[in-house]
Amino acid sequence: MTTQMDNMEQSARTLWSDAWRRLRRNRLAMICLWVVIFYTALAAYGEVVYRWHQWKDITPSYQQTDLDKQYLPPSLFRQPFTVESGAEVGVMERMSSGLRELARHPLGTDGLGRDVMQRLIQGTRIAYMVGIVVSLIAIPIGVVLGCLAGYFRGRVDDVIVWLYSTFAAIPGLLFILAIAMVVGRGLLGVYLGIGLTIWVGLCRLIRGEVIKHSERPYVAAAHALGLSHARIIFRHILPNVFHVVIVTFTLMFPAAIGTEVFLSFLGIGAQGEPSWGIMISNARLRLWHGVWWEMAAATTALFFIVLAFNLLGDALRDALDPRLRTGRQ
Amino acid sequence: MGRYIIRRIGQMIPIVFGVMLITFILFNMVGGSPALAILGRHVSPQALEEFDEVRGFNKPLIFGWWSGTRAYDAETDFERHAGPWRAVEDVEHQEAEDREPAHIRVPEGEHAIPLEFSPRAETGFRWVIEYRLAPDGSAALLYDAESDEIDDERVEQREELAPSARWTRARIPFESGETPGELNMRLVVEEGAPLEIRAMEMQRRANHPLDSQFTFYIFQTFKGDLGYSESANQPIARMIREGIGPSLMLTVPIFLIGLIVSISVALLCAFYRNTWIDRMLVVIAVALMSINYLVWIVVGQYLAAYRWGWFPVWGFESWIYLILPISIGVLSGLGIDVRFYRTVMLDEMYKEYVRTAFAKGVGKRTVLFKHVLKNAMITVATNVVIAIPFLYTGSLLLESFFGIPGLGYMAINAIMSSDVDVIRAIVLIGAILFVVANLLTDICYALVDPRVQLK
Repeated sequence: MTTQMDNMEQSARTLWSDAWRRLRRNRLAMICLWVVIFYTALAAYGEVVYRWHQWKDITPSYQQTDLDKQYLPPSLFRQPFTVESGAEVGVMERMSSGLRELARHPLGTDGLGRDVMQRLIQGTRIAYMVGIVVSLIAIPIGVVLGCLAGYFRGRVDDVIVWLYSTFAAIPGLLFILAIAMVVGRGLLGVYLGIGLTIWVGLCRLIRGEVIKHSERPYVAAAHALGLSHARIIFRHILPNVFHVVIVTFTLMFPAAIGTEVFLSFLGIGAQGEPSWGIMISNARLRLWHGVWWEMAAATTALFFIVLAFNLLGDALRDALDPRLRTGRQ
Repeated sequence: MGRYIIRRIGQMIPIVFGVMLITFILFNMVGGSPALAILGRHVSPQALEEFDEVRGFNKPLIFGWWSGTRAYDAETDFERHAGPWRAVEDVEHQEAEDREPAHIRVPEGEHAIPLEFSPRAETGFRWVIEYRLAPDGSAALLYDAESDEIDDERVEQREELAPSARWTRARIPFESGETPGELNMRLVVEEGAPLEIRAMEMQRRANHPLDSQFTFYIFQTFKGDLGYSESANQPIARMIREGIGPSLMLTVPIFLIGLIVSISVALLCAFYRNTWIDRMLVVIAVALMSINYLVWIVVGQYLAAYRWGWFPVWGFESWIYLILPISIGVLSGLGIDVRFYRTVMLDEMYKEYVRTAFAKGVGKRTVLFKHVLKNAMITVATNVVIAIPFLYTGSLLLESFFGIPGLGYMAINAIMSSDVDVIRAIVLIGAILFVVANLLTDICYALVDPRVQLK
């Protein structure tokens, strides 16, 4: 009796709630989801700080240089052990002044005395901007072209397959660098460079899925009802292949972030803004002098967001498309 | 089989064409004038024209009859000043006012059109003039290809400008003379209101509409001429020949070691599938994958070469210099490869022949290493052949960080110095290799696997 009830309940669930239930059971995926939410909040906070300073037209604290505070490490004992007026400074005193400093710059300061944590948050903002704008460029291109190719086949298919084969044949990183170079230094070049190359994988996947779905009875029924092509593609087929878009998005996002870091590192990406790539590029030279915290902060932040998105993407794929599940029984 | 190969080659050509088109559009249409960028602004227009002539830059971009010439070297409109007409007496420059666009006023009389140099002989040209002329006015373009003076009795050609109260555009074609001598051009305003010119441009006619920069580029490429690097002052073909060795010395070991290690780990995962070992290895693989390539290199170089002093930091002198970049390359690629090959192995594990083998009592080890591995090799081989062309471009970052003079290092330098031709050549060769490798995989597939249909 209970099993029957369970079955009935299961059949009533939609694809999305079913996937959500499966995702909820995956503890690792939930941790990753929280990490992503945390980063998103940081990025939103960074955006607010950025906008506020722009609106007030003042130099934000993450850009203010303070040469008295160069290279403050994120540790309690950062003042040298000094002897003042014959009396040794007590451990407690040093601790308390250290704590005060630590509260002001929890992750230390960089070579120009700028707060590393503030810069890290701004870096998160830029990383999110890149991830979002790149997805906004790449996903529409990939989805529309993939749907058109898979649905209409024939000539349309030939042209679109030719287009993405051409894009796929060009060595990826060089292509991105070339686009960014042509557009010019700055984030616009990064958006376009990554966005105009990363859609190929999505387009290919969507095309394959749409071809499969075009032969299903529900599409034939839609044809028989005399629905327009646009309606069949976007109202009937697309919702059925949309999980591909979501999974691709979660994997595209970290890829875009990683590439932005690379471009900014080379000096082609963000200009004058604290992107993670620029932080790594600055910190690289200082690393050789033992200033490890700026490098550690930027690389750790980068690592965890990419890791969280990658693991989440895997879990989402398993949850949304059980047939693709690796290790199916 | 032969027909299949021919058809696949037929499919390959449009892709190579597409790659050439895209790289061409990317670099030629959007970038500025290469002659100005390389020779600088202080060179005579004639020198610039000659530079363009040699490299085919003075042709239409992709298709068309007309292209610009530097003989009448001017801004095409008179937005800021009268352009070359500044030197001509009587001609006034009128700045933009209200609805009136900026223009020049040419009063009555004969005025020599200021040309920078006499254009090439026996070539078709045309003027594109946007002008305004009161209805009672009369103006004409006189030109004589042969002599300095225009003799009233034997004027070569005379083109009237039809009077028009509104701005109109006229296209007036003419031919330059047989000898590359002086081309005497005059603008004659005879009576009535002065002639007002809003924009003026001299264009050159191509031999045929396909005689464009793009076809020039294609023919040049097919002749094996990849161009000349202005920043390195060397032919690009030679730079690539010299750079490919160091690149391969780096990428081939990375590729082979990475392949062996990742397949072994993937087999381990498959053997212990759904146990904690498998899960741990997968999480480690994702973690390895999530470390940015840049971080691998920066931190690896700092720790292993500088801090601990195990390896030389920078240079390319003996094999010792290659150990660190190779290890970093292997480690950074391991995550993705392990995950990929694990999926391949697991996909194979759920096939029916494996179930049959298990049912017949074959041991797990035998099934895995004898049956699964052998069948998975088809997918592995595909992946390997597809990856081969990417070995050629080398590794952009590894090479520039460790000072290995390969193609990746060259590409980064070219990007930093905006040397478009070098990047275009590297991109083009990489793309062609990729397409060829794709073709080879398909053919091998068709040869090896009888299930592949040759339709």
